[in-house]
Amino acid sequence: MRRRLLTLGMAVLLAAPTLAACEVGEPNTPAGKKEITFLVFETPNLTPQYWDAAIKRVTDKHPDITVKKLVSPDQDRTTYAKQLLSSGQFPDVMIAVSPAGFAEGGNLYAWTPEELKDFQFPTNGAIKGKVYQLPANTQTIPTVYYNKDLFAKAGITGEPKTYAELMSAAQKLKANGITPFVTAGVHDSIGPLWAGILATDVYAKNPNWMHDRRAGKVKFCDAEFKAGATKLADLARQGYVDAKDVSRDYAAGQQAFLDGKGAMYAMGNWLAGELDKPTTKLHVGQFAWPADDGKLVIPAFTGGGLLVSAKAKNLDAAKTFALGFQLDKGNLDNSAKADGLFPAIKGYTPPSDVGAAYKLGYDLYAQGVAANAVVPAFGFEAGDDGMLPGVTAKWDSSAVDLVTGKKTADQVCAFLDAEWAKAAT
Amino acid sequence: MRSSVSRRPMIGRRVWHFVSFGGPGTAVYLCFVLAPILISLGYSLTNYNPFRDETHFVGLDNYRVLLTDEEFLTSLRVTGILTAIVVIVPNVAGLAIAALLDRQSWFFSSLRTVFFVPVVLSSVVVSVIWTRLLDNDGLINQTLRAIGVDEPPGWLSDPDYALYSLGGILSWQMLGFCVVIYLAGLQHIPQELLEAAAIDGAGPVRRFWRITWPLLAPALTINTVILLISAFKVFDHVQIITRGGPGSGTTATIAYNVLQTGFVANRQGFASAMAILMLVIIAALSGVALRLLQRREVDL
Amino acid sequence: MRKVLALLVATVFAVPLYVAVVNVFKDGPQISKSPASLPIPPTLDNIRSALGRSDRLFWVSLTNSLIVTSLSIAVLTVLSAMLGHYLARTRGRWTRALTLLLLSGLMIPPQVILMPVTQVLRAVGLMTTVPGLVLFNVGYYVPFGVFVFTGFVRAIPVELEESAALDGAGRGQTFWRIVFPLMRPATASVLIFLGVWIWNDFIDPLVILGPSQGTTVTTGIYRSIGQYQVDFGAMFAMMFLATLPVLIFFLLLQRHFVKGLTGGATKG
Repeated sequence: MRRRLLTLGMAVLLAAPTLAACEVGEPNTPAGKKEITFLVFETPNLTPQYWDAAIKRVTDKHPDITVKKLVSPDQDRTTYAKQLLSSGQFPDVMIAVSPAGFAEGGNLYAWTPEELKDFQFPTNGAIKGKVYQLPANTQTIPTVYYNKDLFAKAGITGEPKTYAELMSAAQKLKANGITPFVTAGVHDSIGPLWAGILATDVYAKNPNWMHDRRAGKVKFCDAEFKAGATKLADLARQGYVDAKDVSRDYAAGQQAFLDGKGAMYAMGNWLAGELDKPTTKLHVGQFAWPADDGKLVIPAFTGGGLLVSAKAKNLDAAKTFALGFQLDKGNLDNSAKADGLFPAIKGYTPPSDVGAAYKLGYDLYAQGVAANAVVPAFGFEAGDDGMLPGVTAKWDSSAVDLVTGKKTADQVCAFLDAEWAKAAT
Repeated sequence: MRSSVSRRPMIGRRVWHFVSFGGPGTAVYLCFVLAPILISLGYSLTNYNPFRDETHFVGLDNYRVLLTDEEFLTSLRVTGILTAIVVIVPNVAGLAIAALLDRQSWFFSSLRTVFFVPVVLSSVVVSVIWTRLLDNDGLINQTLRAIGVDEPPGWLSDPDYALYSLGGILSWQMLGFCVVIYLAGLQHIPQELLEAAAIDGAGPVRRFWRITWPLLAPALTINTVILLISAFKVFDHVQIITRGGPGSGTTATIAYNVLQTGFVANRQGFASAMAILMLVIIAALSGVALRLLQRREVDL
Repeated sequence: MRKVLALLVATVFAVPLYVAVVNVFKDGPQISKSPASLPIPPTLDNIRSALGRSDRLFWVSLTNSLIVTSLSIAVLTVLSAMLGHYLARTRGRWTRALTLLLLSGLMIPPQVILMPVTQVLRAVGLMTTVPGLVLFNVGYYVPFGVFVFTGFVRAIPVELEESAALDGAGRGQTFWRIVFPLMRPATASVLIFLGVWIWNDFIDPLVILGPSQGTTVTTGIYRSIGQYQVDFGAMFAMMFLATLPVLIFFLLLQRHFVKGLTGGATKG
């Protein structure tokens, strides 16, 4: 009797590994099919159906590839990809994951110039001269979206051209009981606002600022960056940014702007996807974040495309899928419509039926390109153009600290310099 | 079926007793708790970073840096405050509510169930509900504005409030557990003891301190152990409600920082050192707590 | 008077629960406008859309959660009952050391050892599998099971076992026939506690199961936050559906639960 029970207990314990051993064998794919895993993330614009359709467009052309879709549990897909790598489940293909760190560790496939021939900016986001993430699309971060009705209500007639005009508009709005700037506490919400300030105060003066920071030639505590930090703190001090907004998540911030809870929303141009939905009934205008001297500055980031794991089991299939996905006209059109992206593919023009908000943003960007006024988007750069791994998160939390008044501009720049030194060790 | 085991020499029987009864559980525990701790200990002496090619032995450097690291010291403070809130508030409030519900009737036992419901809720669910309630335009501030508070606090956005809001949410979730355990303790107290004390002229306060409170010692032990376990584990709420914010480290507990440093900044050697320090602190605290609590337990 | 006061306290306490339940039956706009209003007219659209997702997120999650939770608590109960009994009934330095070793694992947050755990699992080839997650749960929660069972066994008179041994019953027989049935309350509290904890676990299944095995209910809810950001109705419906099984489970075992925890301690 006792023996029997013991055997049972032992059997349970021993059975588990054997069961699993059967499971971790080769994936059961039909003969001649190559399976790849593809990590995506979901937002209100990028639904499960959106991804399924996009994947299907590619697999219809390449019937020998089967795709297993993996979904990031939240929008922070870069952190999730790191988790997967650390636990030995790195996906074969990923979309919109920042390559910093992965590439240096030899985890990503470096694209050849030949493979990048269809891209407009084939060297963007390079890490030590090699491109790991397809530079698939450009986003302006930020564009200032403003609620025309609220501007009219506050008696503001034109779009602000200089920073001083922006401040006087904000003052008028506040005097009329309208919150001038809508924001929220996460990277994608407050980051664009600060990126606008830093584009005019830092990058417009020195387009190589981040490379100089990496080389130790400049510091966060130099005058330019500190001025940008001071401006953000002042916006909150004047009540132009409501410190209470920092507890919102990304969706709540967007919803607040759509509900007219504030007049201006400095946001990446992916907002156009939301504004052009037939259900959105808001009159929205757009202008570039104004510099002190009124010169046009357009902060933009090109990248955001697919990446392929260097260790993918079916590397060729993964590469074929990634390029196929990225260059498929149907996919490009959809990404423009749903997510407001400007595809950076040679010879590509957005479909004629894009929405008004998309078109306005696109024209503003084209103006910037013509005037040679495009600079990097601070905090959103990739690879060698961006901050060291881990520092961007500190930059995000510093933005919130400036708004809540927990830290002064001096404390923030000293903190960021210290964090930079930590990350460099 | 008689086995031959019983005729084995004494020492063999002992070993066999352990292997058959204690072996499997101990083995799994060693594999999945003790071995990982030893691995962490090993990593904590290196600068291991999965994104870099070379890993060096750095001795106790990580620990040296940690003890002066502002971020770590902040997370230590945050964890300390949260633990204090989570251990004290539900214990005190739970005892008060248990005393209130200490009557035998369907009415009071159904109220007991109401208090217990949050305990079985997932922290993900609790986080989503409370985020909506405590939002600047959430139900709580709407109510406060309606009764004439012009500027209700930013429960989750103001660095001065966020940590206490989080502590409040956790206390709400754990309160029902304490209520149920104290109720059981109260219902175990022999009525004749209390009646005898009343005849001797002891007032309610005195009766409580001399009889009820000492007899509730086992309940206090269980509650405190469970609350300590829950307090150290706080992670999901931080991840979902505040993401460690607002701003830098306002609500980042050590557990949250270990994962952030390990996964986001990829400094796993450093994160391992953090983990080991946390384990040392926990071991010390739980050892002290268990000893104190068990000393108070009286045999009936 | 006591009733009124008790009802008042419970009502205030239950506001969040009320909000969570009524919003399951309201449409999105109504939720943002008036979160506290009654769902009039009630709608089942949220539940329908949560159940009818094209990726079957809810059903996959539910299946995973049920399998992981039931397997884990079954194995845990057997192993920790035996180990707890062993520790309570033997004396000596070895026993004390082992007890201490297990109790020190009682308060370790799983996040702190998660990284090396994944390495152990990879070494034995069980990463990203359900058995791997079950084994980790067993190892991680054994201390708690032992903590409860050891306390409870001490309240069971040892004479029962001694007389069974005199009658010639083996150790295993004595344990399963006599001791284990007497430990029913402790078993109930271990089942409830660990069932609730494992069912609601979030970060462990997220990392150990990984994305290829689908989600559990908690990671499923977390994932749908991203997609439903503005559609709170579906969100609340998902949470409601994910909580029901564990709530029913608790209500069924509720009667035994307290006894198991305090029975050993109060010697009542």
